[in-house]
Amino acid sequence: MSNSLVLAPAPRSEAAEQVRAEVREFLADELAAGTFSTHVDTWLSGVDPAFSRKLGERGWLGMTWPKKYGGHERSAMERYAVTEELLAAGAPVAAHWIADRQSGPNLLTYGTEKQRQEILPRIVAGECYFVIGMSEPDSGSDLASIRTKAVRNGDGDWVVNGAKVWTSNAHESHYGIVLVRTSPSDSANRHAGMSQLLIDLSLPGITVNPIRILDGGHHFNEVVFEDVVVPGDMLLGEEGNGWHQVTAELAFERSGPERFLSTYPLLAEFGRRVVDSGDPAQLTVLGRLSARVLALRQMSLRIAAALDRGELPNIPAALVKDVGTTFEADVIEEVRRVADVMPSLDSPDPLGRALAEAQLHQPGFTLRGGTNEILRGIVARGLGLR
Amino acid sequence: MATDQDLVVETVRDILSGHEPFVLTPARRWDEGLWSALASAGLTGVGLPEEAGGSGGDLADAVAIVRTLASGAAAVPVAEQLLVAGPAVIAAGLTLPPVEEPLTFGIADTVTATPSGDGWTLTGTAADVSWAAVAAHVALLVTGPDGAALALLPTSGLDASDGYNLAGEPRSSLTLAETPAAVAPLNDAQARELRAGFALARAVQLSAALEQVLAWTVQYAGERHQFGRPLGKFQAIQMELAEMAGEVVAVTALTDAAVQALAHGSADVALAAAAAKVRAGAAVEVVARLAHQVHGAIGFTQEHKLHHLTRRLWSWRDEAGSELVWSRVLASGLLADGPDGLWPALTRVV
Ligand SMILES: Cc1cc2nc3c(=O)[nH]c(=O)nc-3n(C[C@H](O)[C@H](O)[C@H](O)COP(=O)(O)OP(=O)(O)OC[C@H]3O[C@@H](n4cnc5c(N)ncnc54)[C@H](O)[C@@H]3O)c2cc1C
Repeated sequence: MSNSLVLAPAPRSEAAEQVRAEVREFLADELAAGTFSTHVDTWLSGVDPAFSRKLGERGWLGMTWPKKYGGHERSAMERYAVTEELLAAGAPVAAHWIADRQSGPNLLTYGTEKQRQEILPRIVAGECYFVIGMSEPDSGSDLASIRTKAVRNGDGDWVVNGAKVWTSNAHESHYGIVLVRTSPSDSANRHAGMSQLLIDLSLPGITVNPIRILDGGHHFNEVVFEDVVVPGDMLLGEEGNGWHQVTAELAFERSGPERFLSTYPLLAEFGRRVVDSGDPAQLTVLGRLSARVLALRQMSLRIAAALDRGELPNIPAALVKDVGTTFEADVIEEVRRVADVMPSLDSPDPLGRALAEAQLHQPGFTLRGGTNEILRGIVARGLGLR
Repeated sequence: MATDQDLVVETVRDILSGHEPFVLTPARRWDEGLWSALASAGLTGVGLPEEAGGSGGDLADAVAIVRTLASGAAAVPVAEQLLVAGPAVIAAGLTLPPVEEPLTFGIADTVTATPSGDGWTLTGTAADVSWAAVAAHVALLVTGPDGAALALLPTSGLDASDGYNLAGEPRSSLTLAETPAAVAPLNDAQARELRAGFALARAVQLSAALEQVLAWTVQYAGERHQFGRPLGKFQAIQMELAEMAGEVVAVTALTDAAVQALAHGSADVALAAAAAKVRAGAAVEVVARLAHQVHGAIGFTQEHKLHHLTRRLWSWRDEAGSELVWSRVLASGLLADGPDGLWPALTRVV
């Protein structure tokens, strides 16, 4: 098979197993103390700044970053173990998720020294949250068609006009890394002329309008920019290099355990049901789903190990996200077929609640972060087809 | 730099290139010429210790050989000999037959082993024993007076039925009536790991064959033109190939991890093997179906090579325990520590 798709097996990491045990103990204590309750898809919907700060105090944010920016210089494998434990427990991790996963690494690669010094230690402390400002009303999969634009004024600052949409947790966040046009689009080179700006979301001229998802939950937003003056030194990376920089984020954005564990709390609840029922049909389904989890963990771990080697495996990341998000949705149907349970957010039965939460969030799994159709196109490129 | 393992794989590939897969029939049930070539090169004892009559090397070498042969649809019982029967016979303290003679393996819980004089005899029917019709010796997991036992016996003179899997590989029922055999008792853990080892051997074969089917299909999509373009330029075909790739990569990642678990003597090897077998079996549906779809009618013919692997995939997924059997074993094992034990188990197994 094409080498670009297959990564070397991940070495077993003792350090990762150690921190995993610490996180597990912490989560058990927090659950017992009632500081959070388990939910499905909490990396979108579980905003809890107090919880994020606690993780920061434990040293579980910015884990792989240099110490001089407050980071902990630990491996991607250790970070993998921490994030996986948090997701499996359905803990409220949404506030800091984007900042810790991709904005921080993006600043480490492209940020100025000043930007890093000011912002990274606050992310590490669990106090500073980020949004991804890529999608627009007319630009989803075809991201290169964005129209939000930034023009230099006489003071060398950027004046931004346009609108971003589906911006997760913009109403709870401090900064956005926003992809903008800094020169007019060129049909001969569609990927040229874009840049990333680091934008303080409290600047005048920015309006954050809630957009409710189908269950009424407020998680994503429209973010409108009207003559927003962004200081000139808040350009991230190079002018005109935006497309390349966005692409470089993708290995971080697409490969983590959140791409197959969003519905894990439902599977855990189903496991409890199977222990009670001993029903062979349910046991079979649990075994099949568990084998898929085990395979996905190995795929995702291989990517964490590749990140530790300094690689940016975008194609394997697209592949694991396609397979993983398909799995997240399949859990719902597989469980329904063998467990006679009514999905309801106010069900007294925890399985009914988890099923309801999973069902109502399901359409997002295979859209956010690049749709599965787009991901398969990238995999096809990895197979040498395009 | 070429490793020893690369050299072994190279040797197997060289030998295979002179032995194209052919349609197995009752008149030509296996590739005896290929077996002889592998045996003379010392490849039928790899991974088995020299002091026991093997040719040395480790599990990874044996797995590499099995993978190469599986992707070449080789009609020889090498997976059984190197990964299952050979190690089991040695571990049980029985005498390994000469590795130049094919040794196969079967699960035969309904066969009972009874002491008789200085030795033992077997009685009962061993169903669906792979390659029993062509192997020289067979190792069977049977039931002894105090639980599971491993039996080893020559196949000459045995009453073996004429049975075949979907690829025409011989799968015979052996009718045993006070048939003499060497027998060694196994404890529960040994018996469990032997079953799992057999499942893992099939998972390894499935994984290699799935990769090969994907590679053939990608290649074909690049060569076949319709509407003035290679098939692979059509987005619908790209989606299908990408879906196949997702399945194949998942199986490879998990099977590799299960082999590692076996190599390290992990206490969870049985669950790792169960998971690998279940995942590989599930991938067969997608990969075989889409491979045929992309190949069109030519892939549906006996002339085309595709069926050598797709027919094996459709059989191997049900052999050594189907997904139904192993998914229950896996789920029960993962829930062994109670209602909150699932996640800790999932992060421990591989
Ligand atoms: C829960 C959630 C959170 C999100 N959070 C953020 C965020 O924080 N920041 C952000 O910038 N964006 C965010 N998004 C937006 C997300 O990135 C887009 O939804 C995604 O890129 C798809 O764009 P679209 O929704 O406009 O769909 P479209 O691009 O219009 O696609 C519609 C359908 O057409 C298919 N399609 C499109 N083009 C092709 C093609 N070339 N070939 C085959 N099929 C095609 C798609 O696969 C899809 O099925 C979020 C989305 C969701 C659901």
